[in-house]
Amino acid sequence: MTRNRETADSARASFPLDGHGVAFFAVLLAVALAGEVLVLRPLVLDPDAPVSGIDIVFGLVGGSFAVAGLVAWHKRPDSYTGVLMTATGFAFFVSPLLRQVDGALAFTVWSLLVDLWIFFYVPLLLTLLTRGRMRSPIEPWLLVAYAVPLVLLQVIWMMFAELEGDNLLLAFPDEDVAHVLDRAQRSLLIAALAATVVVIAIRWWRASTPRRRALLPSIAGALTLLMFGALLTNDLVTGERSEPLLWVTALSLLTVPIAFLVGQLRSRLARGALADLFRSIGGARPDELRPALARALGDPDLAVAYWRSDTGGYIGPDGAPVVVEAGGERAVARVERDGRPLGALLYDGSLDDDPELVEAVTAAAAIAIDNARLLAETEAQLAEIKASRERIVAAGDAERRRLERNLHDGAQQRLVGIALQLRLLQNRVGDDPSAQELVTTASDELAHSLSELRELARGIHPAVLEHGLRAALDAVATRAPVPTSLEYELTAPLPEQVELAAYFVVCEALANVAKYAQAGHATIRVRRFDGLAEVEVADDGVGGADESHGSGLRGLADRVEALDGRLRVSSPAGVGTTVRAEFPCAS
Amino acid sequence: MRIVIADDNLLVRRGIAALLEEAGIDVAAQAGDMDELLAAVDAAPPDVAIVDIRMPPTHTDEGLRAAHAIRERHPGVGIVVLSQHVETGIAARVLAEHPAGLGYLLKDRVTDVAEFVSTLRHVAAGGTALDPQVISRLLAGDRAEGPLRDLTEREREVLQLVAEGHSNPAIAERLEITRRSTEKHVSSIFTKLGLPDTGSENRRVLAVLTLLRG
Repeated sequence: MTRNRETADSARASFPLDGHGVAFFAVLLAVALAGEVLVLRPLVLDPDAPVSGIDIVFGLVGGSFAVAGLVAWHKRPDSYTGVLMTATGFAFFVSPLLRQVDGALAFTVWSLLVDLWIFFYVPLLLTLLTRGRMRSPIEPWLLVAYAVPLVLLQVIWMMFAELEGDNLLLAFPDEDVAHVLDRAQRSLLIAALAATVVVIAIRWWRASTPRRRALLPSIAGALTLLMFGALLTNDLVTGERSEPLLWVTALSLLTVPIAFLVGQLRSRLARGALADLFRSIGGARPDELRPALARALGDPDLAVAYWRSDTGGYIGPDGAPVVVEAGGERAVARVERDGRPLGALLYDGSLDDDPELVEAVTAAAAIAIDNARLLAETEAQLAEIKASRERIVAAGDAERRRLERNLHDGAQQRLVGIALQLRLLQNRVGDDPSAQELVTTASDELAHSLSELRELARGIHPAVLEHGLRAALDAVATRAPVPTSLEYELTAPLPEQVELAAYFVVCEALANVAKYAQAGHATIRVRRFDGLAEVEVADDGVGGADESHGSGLRGLADRVEALDGRLRVSSPAGVGTTVRAEFPCAS
Repeated sequence: MRIVIADDNLLVRRGIAALLEEAGIDVAAQAGDMDELLAAVDAAPPDVAIVDIRMPPTHTDEGLRAAHAIRERHPGVGIVVLSQHVETGIAARVLAEHPAGLGYLLKDRVTDVAEFVSTLRHVAAGGTALDPQVISRLLAGDRAEGPLRDLTEREREVLQLVAEGHSNPAIAERLEITRRSTEKHVSSIFTKLGLPDTGSENRRVLAVLTLLRG
């Protein structure tokens, strides 16, 4: 079983991110851990400075982003999200590491890159739904909004500001200009942060259920941006850093990679849920399938399309043709089995952050759709077999009828003709007694042959049926060795095949009555009952008939069933035997 | 007595004609199917039409339909339906409405020419004649129901011969009893079957009908 997933991205060109081996990630992980150790080392080991909790928490942010990012990258190589997160983590290392390097250049670069992480962190939050790729035109503008205060104004500010270190960019030391620039920088940054939060909030507001789930980490991220903005605003207003806000910001930053990892990597498909899924979908009837799949995927807008193998296209549940193409926010999972297309699921593209779920649901859908298809096929085949059985019986009947007619119009007529000729001959033989005797013997033999031939023809096909079932059954009843009465309640004739089957059933049943039942009387009943034509032979004999007493009935049961009817034998010991054939009967 | 014979088998048709002619019967026409038969009857209505029950095109009950048509157009024409096999159910259909002047016999019966000619005359006179095989099945053993149950063994024998189309003298001769006792049996049968006194020949026909209807 294979499943093809297509996403909105697949049509677009993208350079491959996958193909990195375990070694690649191991090296990056080692680098990240080394960076983390280097960042934390002075905070913990510096004997001169007291250990600052807030610094340690901030120090941990880089490592946690890097590790979470690497895990995500490894797990979802087709998504840039992991890359962005890893980059964010490494960007967090830059500033504390440069801080540990002495020298003017290191100080200047540190001053310039202190907020570098913003340029990875914000895109990370904005592109959770598009797997790390910027799709919306607003996203680059937001980055520009960050770049103005954090890059452009930072450079200009450093040209005026006298810092505690050796600022290589300082050209025109002027505290007033620097102060104004600093306030402008902070104001613009607050605006950019607010704009980002608003964008994320609007997206959340508009998102479908599955997309909201995927957007959860960006909500956590937006909260940190909000905290960051609050911190800056507090700085601006009070001129002092707020220690509690700093704590909240640092801690909320830490929740982002955790929320991300939990949201991104924990498949929504626990073991138990998988079993439930297959139980609910695998056995779902076609009309229950879509709701069950929608529930399992958490996508109420899920659409199911079915593959029509005869016309080679997809149709909806209503049978109308459906275009199955990924586009916009919709992704397509094609449901196949053994290379044969069965159908397709059109689901929310954001669900691709959980491919295991999509694959499991698609697999379950494959089973359900295939089951439905097999069921339909089986029913069609059954109908074919029934039709073919009917045709076989009909062909057999036609052949019997033809044989009987040939006998009647051929041999029987000829023999009668010869009998007549013999009689004419006898008239001419005159008084020769030996000749008379010869002719008489021949005549008797001929009469015997005719009688035998008549019985044979009747066994092949009862010509009397051409005069109606009633006449035929009347004939059977009067000929039966056990006194038999006929209760015939039908007013309209039955289909020819049904009449023939009914006739044979009655003959066989009466033959069995004569052979085994020790009955004093038998009754043939023909009536219409509840949309059925019912033909019954009941005797007052010993009952207790078993299968071996009616091997001929088995063949008749086939004949009756070929006409969609049923043959039943009830034979309680001491009560008598009832053989009943029921045929569907339109009116 | 003028006869028309209808049978699609030439050998049979000619055989019957030859036998009857030898017996002094006037075979006016021979027909191979229903249309020829009706044309011949229309042209010159015979005393009796001998009709094979199965004729072209469907070989099912053309003979019966032809009989029906003749009965409608020429009520006075007696009809003897011949068949390769006789069935009680078909007999009931043949004689259903107007059994007078009708006969239903196994085709082989023709070979007993004297008997057959007597049957023809009986039918021509408005009598009813059933094949002995049909009657014996109807009267067989304890099968008989309704009023037939009350008949004595001897009365059954008499009824059988009445149904075959025999006259009282013929019955007396066959059963080797006196004509008088034959008449007594016949009138007892009529009484037991509850047949109204509407003339001897008509009562005989009604007796056959009662027999057929069980």
